[in-house]
Amino acid sequence: MLTMKNVTKVFRTEMVETHALRELTLEVKSGEFVAVTGPSGSGKTTFLNIAGLLDDFTGGEYRLDGVEVRQLGDRARSKLRNEKIGFVFQSFNLIPDLNLFDNVDVPLRYRGFTRGERRQRIERALERVGLASRIRHFPAELSGGQQQRVAIARAIAGDPKLLLADEPTGNLDSQMAREVMQLLEELNAGGTVVVIVTHDPEIAARAQRNVHIVDGVASHLDRGPALVSPALRTA
Amino acid sequence: MDFLPILSTLRRHRTAATLVVLEIALTCAIVSNAVFLIRERLARMDTPSGVVEEELVRVRLIGIGQTADAAALTAQDLVALRAIPGVKSVASTNQVPFGNSGWNSSVSSIPDDVSGSTTASLYMGTQDLLETWGVRLIAGRDFTPEEYVDADAKDAKVSSAIVTRALAERLFPGQSPLGRTLYLGSDPETIVGVIDELARPNDRNGPESAAYSMVLPLSISYTTGGTYLIRVEPGRGGEVLAAVDATLTKVAANRIFTHLESLTEVRDSYFRKDRSMAYLLIGVSLALLIITALGIVGLASFWVQQRTRQIGIRRALGASRGDILRYFLLENFILATMGIVVGMGLAYALNHWLMDAYAVPRLPATVLPIGAVALWLLGQLAVLAPALRAARISPAIATRSV
Ligand SMILES: Nc1ncnc2c1ncn2[C@@H]1O[C@H](COP(=O)(O)OP(=O)(O)OP(=O)(O)O)[C@@H](O)[C@H]1O
Ligand SMILES: [Mg+2]
Repeated sequence: MLTMKNVTKVFRTEMVETHALRELTLEVKSGEFVAVTGPSGSGKTTFLNIAGLLDDFTGGEYRLDGVEVRQLGDRARSKLRNEKIGFVFQSFNLIPDLNLFDNVDVPLRYRGFTRGERRQRIERALERVGLASRIRHFPAELSGGQQQRVAIARAIAGDPKLLLADEPTGNLDSQMAREVMQLLEELNAGGTVVVIVTHDPEIAARAQRNVHIVDGVASHLDRGPALVSPALRTA
Repeated sequence: MDFLPILSTLRRHRTAATLVVLEIALTCAIVSNAVFLIRERLARMDTPSGVVEEELVRVRLIGIGQTADAAALTAQDLVALRAIPGVKSVASTNQVPFGNSGWNSSVSSIPDDVSGSTTASLYMGTQDLLETWGVRLIAGRDFTPEEYVDADAKDAKVSSAIVTRALAERLFPGQSPLGRTLYLGSDPETIVGVIDELARPNDRNGPESAAYSMVLPLSISYTTGGTYLIRVEPGRGGEVLAAVDATLTKVAANRIFTHLESLTEVRDSYFRKDRSMAYLLIGVSLALLIITALGIVGLASFWVQQRTRQIGIRRALGASRGDILRYFLLENFILATMGIVVGMGLAYALNHWLMDAYAVPRLPATVLPIGAVALWLLGQLAVLAPALRAARISPAIATRSV
């Protein structure tokens, strides 16, 4: 599903160069549920941004579902992101000016679905997360856990192959966090690849496989064969 | 497209949206009326005089003390003026088009008409007057030398007249005016010729009669008419005017020469008020348009900044740069359209009030589409820079923790 080979990312500002990723090599196969862990500032979000086509990278190779990403222009990239990837963010990132229906509708509009199909998908997705009755409510009228469920509904409404989540439970209490994890596990059981960045060992433990990123290098693996890193090899 | 979600977003930012819509509406109302008034003024300034203005210069002169034989002196003056190099033709006359002050008479197709008469301007002058004006005779003939009568003579009476096309049409609608009789009060005159165009010295009698002029073969001396009209070869007006004073002084002293100027200068000062009003309105309109554009830029920049995160989220969810750009252009188009709709209503209301209060004509329907397109363009141009800035916002913003 997702193959990164020696991916590097350097942030250049006038003063400093930050090597956020150093030759990161990683593969995520279809059907997997992967947790990405690591200390703060180690490059987890940077990895997720690149994996999700939210940011470009400095060197290396990245193939998403068989497509070489490097050469793609903005339109093709946006289209790929729209069709293949669903995002769940730590801070929910719902659009406050739009009600739940319109929030879930955002990616579907860019997808170009017909009005009827969009309505159907929106209703189905909100039902899936148990919020069908709040369809005309605005995000501010929901609790944090509910908002995150809306975000998940928005992420899955287009049936993406890959779900990327950056600390999806970071702003939630443990009860809500468990609910959200359960949802993600259900989706994974339905065939969606899930990659989740987390600080929470309990959550990491529920994943099939853990990737540990330290200082921009994927350096540790649990319960899985897929990690190779030149830094690790030479170490 | 994003039409409905944009509307619902605007509803939630009602105050700012309403203010910018009102700004556009007021600009629309004021500018469309201003543009209309400017067009009116410019059209007025374009009123044809019927004479070859760029070849004509005039001299006004006043004699000091009694002059025994004004007619003879006038004849001498004209001969002397004609001899100035560059002069093509000279006449003594009582007034010039757009000269501001002039002689008027009531005119009718029947004698002593009290209700149906109109006013017309009375031009008179020496024999070469039509030739000097360069007016276009479109029917009939010029006066014959025998028809000319000395205007200063006791009981001077003429029996023929030349009228403008507009006056002929007013007096004898749809008929040939040649040979017909018009009456200045009870005095009959036979129309012997029709000239295309000869503007009155002023339009104080109303715009509809501004082209009603007639010429009488009354040979007028400088003491009565006070004006010498000189037709010069193209481009030699300044040179001729410079020689006038000395030439006329040599004929006879004790005379004061004023208003030595070309007829284009006469026209310029006659329409000075219209011109400055047009400039003022243009300035006000431009200022309003600039203020509105700046208001749009300001609000759009504020919204882009305020929605930075939201834009990043949209990008993350699949919006391309083009989608973001289009979002803001469409949003502006919606606001502009609301402003234009309200503004056109206000424009007609304002026009109505101006019609009542200042007798301004009705706003023509063409103002509507032209104004709408102009404001749409203005809005799209104003919003372009903020919208491009929005399109450059990175989708990686979405994962940045708040
Ligand atoms: N836009 C940026 N410009 C400059 N440096 C950046 C930028 N984004 C990230 N970095 C740097 O790259 C490194 C990796 O950051 P990243 O956000 O990926 O860490 P993280 O593992 O997600 O941390 P956390 O667990 O705190 O979220 C950090 O040193 C960070 O300061
Ligand atoms: Mg992070």
